Amino acid sequence: MFKLALKNTLFYKGRSTATAVLTFASTILFILYISLTNGSHNAILENSLKIYTGAIEIYHKDYRDIGGNEYLIQNVKAITDKLAKIEAIEAYSTRYETYGLLSNKEHSAASMVAGIEPEKEKILSSLESALTEGAFLDKNSANCVYMGIELAKKLKLGIGDEVAFIGSASDGSFAADIFRVCATFKTGSFEFDSSSSFIARSYFDELMYAKNRASYITIKLKNIDDAEKVNSQIITIIDDENLESLTWKTLMRNMVESMEVDAVFGYISLSLFMVVIFFVIMIYGFINVSSRIKGFGVLRCIGLSKRNIFSILFYEILILSILATVLATPIAAYICYYYSINPIVIEGIADIYKDYGIVLNEIPFDFNLFTIGWNLGVIYLLNFLSILYPYMYINSFGPFEATRHV
Amino acid sequence: MYKLILKLAWKNSFLRRARVLLVIIMIAVSMSMMLVLEGVYDGLVKNMVDKNKRSESGDISIFAKEYRVNRDLTYRIKNADEIKAQLQSMKGVEAVVLRVKADGLLSTARKSSFASLIGIDLKEEEHFGKFSEFLKEGVIDLQKQGAIVGIELAKTLKLRIGSKVVFSTQDTKGEINSIALHVRAIVQTTNIGLDNSAIFIDINQSHKFLGTTSQDAMQIAIRGEERELYEKLKRAFPNLDVKEFLELQPMMKMMQDVMIIFNSVTFLIVMGVVFIGIFGVMYVSILERVREFGIMISLGMPYRYIRAQIFLESIVVGLLGYLGGAVLGAVLLIYLERYGIDLSAFSDALEMWGYEAVIYATIKVSYFTTTFGAIITASLLSVIIPLAKIKKLNPIEVIKADK
Repeated sequence: MFKLALKNTLFYKGRSTATAVLTFASTILFILYISLTNGSHNAILENSLKIYTGAIEIYHKDYRDIGGNEYLIQNVKAITDKLAKIEAIEAYSTRYETYGLLSNKEHSAASMVAGIEPEKEKILSSLESALTEGAFLDKNSANCVYMGIELAKKLKLGIGDEVAFIGSASDGSFAADIFRVCATFKTGSFEFDSSSSFIARSYFDELMYAKNRASYITIKLKNIDDAEKVNSQIITIIDDENLESLTWKTLMRNMVESMEVDAVFGYISLSLFMVVIFFVIMIYGFINVSSRIKGFGVLRCIGLSKRNIFSILFYEILILSILATVLATPIAAYICYYYSINPIVIEGIADIYKDYGIVLNEIPFDFNLFTIGWNLGVIYLLNFLSILYPYMYINSFGPFEATRHV
Repeated sequence: MYKLILKLAWKNSFLRRARVLLVIIMIAVSMSMMLVLEGVYDGLVKNMVDKNKRSESGDISIFAKEYRVNRDLTYRIKNADEIKAQLQSMKGVEAVVLRVKADGLLSTARKSSFASLIGIDLKEEEHFGKFSEFLKEGVIDLQKQGAIVGIELAKTLKLRIGSKVVFSTQDTKGEINSIALHVRAIVQTTNIGLDNSAIFIDINQSHKFLGTTSQDAMQIAIRGEERELYEKLKRAFPNLDVKEFLELQPMMKMMQDVMIIFNSVTFLIVMGVVFIGIFGVMYVSILERVREFGIMISLGMPYRYIRAQIFLESIVVGLLGYLGGAVLGAVLLIYLERYGIDLSAFSDALEMWGYEAVIYATIKVSYFTTTFGAIITASLLSVIIPLAKIKKLNPIEVIKADK
């Protein structure tokens, strides 16, 4: 059957070429589209994770939903001592976050002011690498504030300038102090850069009465893919029903969901191309078999079963699909690989996206062999489906009727 | 003669019914899917543009120079009421509103977040952009220190109707000032900036709080779509910053451009593949009748009649596919225009990006006219090559060869 199918494929050049070319085009289109979609989504998520959000974060229950000082984590040391025993954790740090008003003589702006452990943040987040001017915090930085560049611009502050802070301490009392701008940062997220500033916890804890307390504990893993597994381990080891340990998938649920919505719309658009291509391949297959009805009739008369006929059609489409995908896959895979290392850079897109908190001017592709594999699976499936109607059409003729077909 | 050719074309179109039916289904399905995609994507952008205009930018906005860069009370328009009166008397201006804005800190007993206070006149905003249509929860009322907050800000601060909040900022004298407010309503404008950070209060209240006067405003928003209006305003107010909608919302401009590019590329690819499909069927359908055409030519039928017949056959197939696609597409679009696609399961994510949970399609006549043109063109082009083969035919040889 295979030999017969191969000969037919070579004989009906027009149909074979059209089917192979369409399969080739759809394979390249499909692999590149999925790679681009996944790549850009991964980049947005990784970018957001890299900046500040941890792979896992531990909160007091209701801190995220209700908030307030009564939902701060108490006795932080006891928890971090337990975390130190987990092998899969690369680093962890405690953060104390509050909102306050920062003012100089003429300008004021609301800001998230966070007390951080500078040495640990160097490993955990990209805060240090986002430095634009001045020097990053250390444990002796005292009243030094590390300020988002957009916030500094808003307040018209430069390095060395003083800024007044008004907020409320962890016990609900009024907290006020004068900070000195020691450095500015730019992470790429406009919202973050225009609303965040950081102080070393060693100083901030005194001001906010927050020693051994934290808004949450952030954790970096050796391998982010282990997030769920490690999270279960953390929950077991902490063993405190008042605390909750959440992975980045929960922490960034909205972001993950919006990527899913975007992907759904992408798949809908892509399905349009696939449906049209499927129809055309089916039409060419149908034209081909309708011109060979007589031939199929003869084959049936000399003893070939319906199953054999199906095998011929199956082998024909398999040969054409293999031919097209063998050519298309390396090309598409190479393009994916190339652009995963050298992302497409669109100048100026950063400014347009700043309202969305995303400043990604790089659009990388995702190079993943598993993804390419299932993409190919879909292409093969569509091509196999395209022979069903032609096969049914052949079977609508009896063997003798088919031999007399004009 | 043409009547006979028309009859021949019609009958020959259905000579191989299954084959032609497949092409018609292919055209109809791909066309209807394309129409739905165009309608939904255009609807998405149209909805956002419309709500952004109504909630904030208007068609044109006027600011004091430097205000948009510094967002500071110092850079306010100090004769806004006079300008408003002047604008209202101008031809092409449909509505004008003044807004007072200040950035600051919004706090509840438990949480704080940065926010933008916007002083508005509710009655004028209703006329300007049907403000009440943005209501998600509560009652539109700014009396007695009432406030209306954007949906995302409400989520951030866990605000409910009746929640008490305090907004703090620097007033015109440089003093830190605070105002206690009661949340009366939560709105969703789909304008990401407003939904994330806006707290609306009565404009007179905002003047009192910030130390500005009723002559002051940070923004004068104008509705009026005449193109000349923008140029006229730029000339009339050279000392102010006059911006039209797309200048203020570059993201919208980008979205519109991306949608046009996306829809055009989709259109071209789909029509290209549809062309290949029609071409395959027409090619085979014509070449398997070469002998018939040879006989017709031998009988003295001029080539132009054969050409007309083949063109008509391709038009019949294209037209039937188009009609199927147009009807199916129109039905789907009407449904989606009325009921939309409900993506409530992803509502949080969509709202975060400024989209509504239900996405409605839009219908434009141009969807149908351009598709009609493209399908008929594809149908006609698909027979050019087979026609060229027929033209070269030597009737006697053809009849002999196929005998």
